[in-house]
Amino acid sequence: MKLFVLILASSFLLQLFLPWWMIAIVSFILSAWLATSSKIAFRAAFWAIFILWLAVCLYQTLPNQNILANRVAQLFMLPDTKFSWIAILLVSCLLGALVAGFSGLAGYYAGQLLPKQTASNKA
Amino acid sequence: MKIVKAAAFFVFALILVIVLNTKFGKIPPLLRFLDPFAGFWQNAEPGEINGSENLAMKGLKENVEIVFDEHLVPHIFAQNDYDAYYAQGYITAKYRLWQMDFQTRFAAGRLSEVVGPAAIELDKYQRRMGMGYGAENLMKALEKNPEMKAIINAYADGVNSYIRSLSPKNYPIEFKILDYNPELWKPINTAYLLKMMSATLAGGSDEFYMSNILKKFGKDVTTNLFPDVTFQDDPIIPKGIKWDFKPIKSPVVPAGYPLNTTDVHTAERREGIGSNNWAISGEKSASGLPILCNDPHLDLSLPSIWFQVQLHTPQMNVYGVSLPGSPCVVIGFNQDVAWGVTNTGSDVLDWYSVTFKDASQNQYKYDNKWLNVKRRIETIAVRGGKTIKDTVIYTNHGPVVYLDKQKPKQLRRAQNVPTGYALRWIAHDAPNIDVATFYYLNRAKNYEDYRKALTYYSSPAQNFAFADNKNDIAITSNGYFPIKWKEQGKFLLDGSNPVNDWQGRIPVEQNPTVKNPKRKFVSSANQVLTDQTYPYYLGWEYAPNDRAQRINRKLTVMDKATIDSMRLMQDDNYSVLAENMMPVLLSNVNRENLSASEGEAFYRVRKWNKFYNSGEIGASIFEIWQAALKLEIWKDDFDDTDLPMRFPLRARMVQLLLKEPNSKWFDNIHTPQKETMQDDIEKSFKFAVDSLERKFGPIGKSWEWGNVKSRPINHLAAMPGFGSKKILNGGSSASINAMSDNHGPSWRMVVALGKTSTGYGVYPGGQSGNPGSFYYDDMVNTWMTGKLNTLHFMQTPGEKSVKIIRTVNLKSK
Repeated sequence: MKLFVLILASSFLLQLFLPWWMIAIVSFILSAWLATSSKIAFRAAFWAIFILWLAVCLYQTLPNQNILANRVAQLFMLPDTKFSWIAILLVSCLLGALVAGFSGLAGYYAGQLLPKQTASNKA
Repeated sequence: MKIVKAAAFFVFALILVIVLNTKFGKIPPLLRFLDPFAGFWQNAEPGEINGSENLAMKGLKENVEIVFDEHLVPHIFAQNDYDAYYAQGYITAKYRLWQMDFQTRFAAGRLSEVVGPAAIELDKYQRRMGMGYGAENLMKALEKNPEMKAIINAYADGVNSYIRSLSPKNYPIEFKILDYNPELWKPINTAYLLKMMSATLAGGSDEFYMSNILKKFGKDVTTNLFPDVTFQDDPIIPKGIKWDFKPIKSPVVPAGYPLNTTDVHTAERREGIGSNNWAISGEKSASGLPILCNDPHLDLSLPSIWFQVQLHTPQMNVYGVSLPGSPCVVIGFNQDVAWGVTNTGSDVLDWYSVTFKDASQNQYKYDNKWLNVKRRIETIAVRGGKTIKDTVIYTNHGPVVYLDKQKPKQLRRAQNVPTGYALRWIAHDAPNIDVATFYYLNRAKNYEDYRKALTYYSSPAQNFAFADNKNDIAITSNGYFPIKWKEQGKFLLDGSNPVNDWQGRIPVEQNPTVKNPKRKFVSSANQVLTDQTYPYYLGWEYAPNDRAQRINRKLTVMDKATIDSMRLMQDDNYSVLAENMMPVLLSNVNRENLSASEGEAFYRVRKWNKFYNSGEIGASIFEIWQAALKLEIWKDDFDDTDLPMRFPLRARMVQLLLKEPNSKWFDNIHTPQKETMQDDIEKSFKFAVDSLERKFGPIGKSWEWGNVKSRPINHLAAMPGFGSKKILNGGSSASINAMSDNHGPSWRMVVALGKTSTGYGVYPGGQSGNPGSFYYDDMVNTWMTGKLNTLHFMQTPGEKSVKIIRTVNLKSK
């Protein structure tokens, strides 16, 4: 839970100024430091970014009545319906979450290479 | 083992990041695009734009107050010219930056830089046509005109101050899709935009088809089918006007013209881009003062080609539409005057043959001497490829657009260029700064100011209609018209003989014009400019007369006209073409030969009222019928893959049907039997019914014209999903409401002159160029239903009667 919250919060702050791939760096470092298992590393990073991005997407698109997201759906060859934006929303969040998840996983295994006592101190 | 695992996952995650941050073909860098913090989601604007904002602006001389009305039209209140155009640049960029960038790149032949090798031939074409050469000449002329240079620079400063304020997450969505960054705006970009308008409106030519026709059919047939005076003509300057000037003597037609030429390969030119404008005198209006109307027809796209703006300084107060990328108002009104433009089809583009001395192509023949060519090297940067250097040869006439084997087969717009010919085109010249015309019209107070403003204009030539609150109305076909002998440039010209050169310019005050004519109105619909008494040759091919006839008929009987009667006229769908053709068509169909569904269709079209209203089934049948008939008559004679030609003008077909029913052209030369007019008419009728049935099923509601014609207004770069919904209105190319395919009334304006002008207008789009804005297409519905918005002509920024949604104060710093 701590890992999840930390990834979510620091990704949010860094993404205000820095490119999207900060989520990979954040997930990698924090998982290397804090994750206790590969499962936890992947899940915490995955869900942190999924939820963060979902929230920001909704914050942007709902006041817009999803006009733009529906247009973008057609740009990606989806049919012109009132709900096509949901597909774009899910793809955005899912891709971001997967990048974060695998970065977390890579971070966890990298963390395993560090001297034992440092790793256990942090855990 | 641990190391391998760690390394494997690290590499996998890294590759994932890199792949999702890279553009592949047409697919944008996926996660950069889908990222909610800086990707496209940031372009989703919340509903109404409102609130107020203070911005510190570098370079501004004094403070500027900008208020936006409910349609997001900016009303700019500045204290001096510099600030007014700076603010115009700033605000236009804020809402139309990508459009400005894209249109400039298109015109300058710089699309490959951002889209890659696919655009190379298009870029080469633009450059070989001399777009850069023309734009640079305009910039040179600008050096001699400090006043105009100052306003074009002020506009650029404003655009750049907006661009500098952007961070990548605020870039317009198209930059994110195509994955490139906006670059700073250069004054020459304004020149490119103006050259693009010349290319669109005065860049057509069909000398090559004409020369081919001459070669195949000889002089008599060519003159007969392609006359200089069209059937039932109704010129812009009313017939019988006396020309009160002493003309320069026109040169005589040299012996041996036109030449028989080598084969040139072309495709058919699309029928005219048109427009309407008219002004009625106070004697025809309810108010006692003039009303002026204009609806320019252009390719319709989103974002729209127009951007509405009001510019207010202590010396000027003007409202109208501007072209994103150029300062000033192009069509509009101020306190005292209103003006509107339509395109003039005069011939300002000719092709000259080039005779090189030898294969080195260093010298060409002119006046029995060998002159040196000039070479201009065009450097085209290509995204993801090597930079290309393309050398273009220039003679004294202009660029040799394509030499042998240079013309790309797959580029449609290049097919009307005759290989090996030099291009003489008015868009390459810059005798003056065209923007000055709009600068002075924006400030005009009366007829004299209007006439003076017009003298600065060269291309693309336009019919400038005018009205003021002193009850003067006028129309002038204005631009740089070369002095030519009769039919000079109707066919290809021999470039080695000086007698074929343009012989200077028709003095601008002798351009066709009329002030306060007896008929109490002026009008134009791209038809022929004058009758045959005008002392100069201007060209032979103009838009058909159908729209002009309808306009003039309505205006002749118009009395006590109001804004609303003018508005209804702009939306009028009646077809004079149908009126002319229908009696002949109907009387030449033998009803005994018709199937049940053909009989039903015949019944419908016979009862049709000749209005192309969206609910009319007869309109759909007639439209396809007459188009098929045209093919039936001409295709066998004029469609030759070895010798491409064009069809005669529409008016010539009508004349054939009405006056020459036994003409040999009705016979299909590819069949053994002899076809008559009746055969052609019946065959094309059956074809029309059959094609409607196949596409829309049995006759019924789906055959209605609105449905048959319906299509969306597309995005400027045809990006899927970024267009409008389907447009279901009426109209046709022969109606005042000139809707056809993807072009139609791109702006409708009605202005009643008075103590203060009152204006109404609408264009099919919205002020914002952002597909994620509510203001992207909010005016489409109003336009489609034939309504107009009130144009708020404000005197002060705090006017109570106008609903202000947003205020932006630009503070000088």
